[in-house]
Amino acid sequence: MAEIVQANWLLIVGALVIGLLVAWWIFVASRRTTVQLEDTDDSEGKPAKRNQALIDAPPAARKDADLPAGKVSQAAEIAASAASPGPASAAANTDATAAAPLGTDAEAGDGTPMAAALNKTPAPAATPSGGDDLTRIKGVGPKLVALLHDMDVRSFADIAAWSDADIDRVDAQLGRFQGRIRRDNWVEQARLLQTGDKAAYEAKFGRTS
Amino acid sequence: MPIWMEVLVLMLLAYAVGLGLGWAIWGRDT
Repeated sequence: MAEIVQANWLLIVGALVIGLLVAWWIFVASRRTTVQLEDTDDSEGKPAKRNQALIDAPPAARKDADLPAGKVSQAAEIAASAASPGPASAAANTDATAAAPLGTDAEAGDGTPMAAALNKTPAPAATPSGGDDLTRIKGVGPKLVALLHDMDVRSFADIAAWSDADIDRVDAQLGRFQGRIRRDNWVEQARLLQTGDKAAYEAKFGRTS
Repeated sequence: MPIWMEVLVLMLLAYAVGLGLGWAIWGRDT
């Protein structure tokens, strides 16, 4: 046996290194990749919405701001006499303060869709209305938050109140995230986050982000 | 048992030890 090891120690050490590499990939690298995927998925669609809001915004404000005052009033007269769909908007922009009144334009005529779009965009995915920011639990990302919301889990209190049976039930629905609840100790984290005991939380789970 | 098979078993053992070591280092406390 000793002779075999001596003769083939290079192969054996190589296998050991490969085992280490595989373990590193499983426990470190693949997790990092997952987080990146979550990030890209999370941001999908948002920029498009914001851009759409800009596209929908009536361009009159920007154009008028660039024109000299005389031309602005001329443009306003033309717009008023032609009884275009947005005369009120054009009139509002004859002021030299044309740069400011995005809101004014929104009230007048075709600005309405922009206002609606603006109302939709600002809420970040991680802080839904009527619940806690579950991503504050270490190990929970936007994807898991979406899964939890599908199960109507929205607050730290919900998670803190889980029994073992609840954990098993939820865990069974987490797909490739199975086992995370116990591994990352969500219940304990949620309990501490719910009570707001930051010192105890950071002592046990590290710094809050 | 042929020698190559013994070597293979030793390599598998070393691989398993490497996996266990990696788990202890990176996988246990997260």
